Amino acid sequence: MEIQDKMVDAAKEIFSTMIMMEISLEGTLDEHGPLKDTITAMIGLAGTRKGVLAIHFPYPVAMAITSNFLMMDVTEINDDVHDAMGEIANMLGGNVKGILSENGRDIDLSMPSTIAGSDYSFQSDKEVDKVILKFGTDKGPFMVEMDLEN
Amino acid sequence: MDVGKAIIEGTNEVFNTMLMVELEVGEPIIGQGGDVESNLTSMLGLGKDIKGMLAVHCPEAVAKDITGTFLGMEVQELDEDVKDAVGEIANMVAGNLKIFFQEHDTTIELAIPTTVVGKSFRTAGMTGATRVAVPFTMNGNTFLIELKYVDAS
Repeated sequence: MEIQDKMVDAAKEIFSTMIMMEISLEGTLDEHGPLKDTITAMIGLAGTRKGVLAIHFPYPVAMAITSNFLMMDVTEINDDVHDAMGEIANMLGGNVKGILSENGRDIDLSMPSTIAGSDYSFQSDKEVDKVILKFGTDKGPFMVEMDLEN
Repeated sequence: MDVGKAIIEGTNEVFNTMLMVELEVGEPIIGQGGDVESNLTSMLGLGKDIKGMLAVHCPEAVAKDITGTFLGMEVQELDEDVKDAVGEIANMVAGNLKIFFQEHDTTIELAIPTTVVGKSFRTAGMTGATRVAVPFTMNGNTFLIELKYVDAS
């Protein structure tokens, strides 16, 4: 099975078991362009494969996910949302580690970090292989991006 | 381990040798506070014994100044050259931190730099992580180098 397909399965499983939210793959993209009213959760991959895994959530999607995750109503982009998005990146990162390396033992994850803003660009600097998956939720789409050094 | 000192020494070395610039060094800030406005932030993940994120936060003027000095040319806007240059600075500072941690029997592995550019954004690490940030001033403009981490060993 392709890495991409395994990532899709991992994302679906995390959303359905941890966040009680069903997501569907809407397609793949080559570039995502500027991110608007979005929160990005990113986590670095280091070791035999080096790269970055990032999830770009538009604010309404981020708030809906956090509300489900924490089982409370979240109406603004606060620290709870940042922490919840970071935790999702961490969970997906854990899966990706296992997808890229047997037992995940040759790859280390960094700490997750988040970026939120009204208009920003997000770009890895090195020559990378890029995969961008676009998922749909009932609150709108979000994107999962993996940039791996080639 | 004095992480603040490691950031200062690692950063000074990069700027002295690669850019031939002497930086003015501010007091390391442990914990919250001391944020500088950033128009361009390059971030790089650290894994293994320490899980962290190194960030170089630059207002537009410093990002251009660093790139212009690095490439020996005038820089007009926050373009690809600027993302690459500040990302490379982050990479080299992280490389020096890797050596510092190794001297303290702590192994870290580096991810790749990612750069965020925008008029208005904020970055956050995870609640509970240790944060050390050092303000540096280059030609009168201040930027911040920040390491957020948890000890995973």
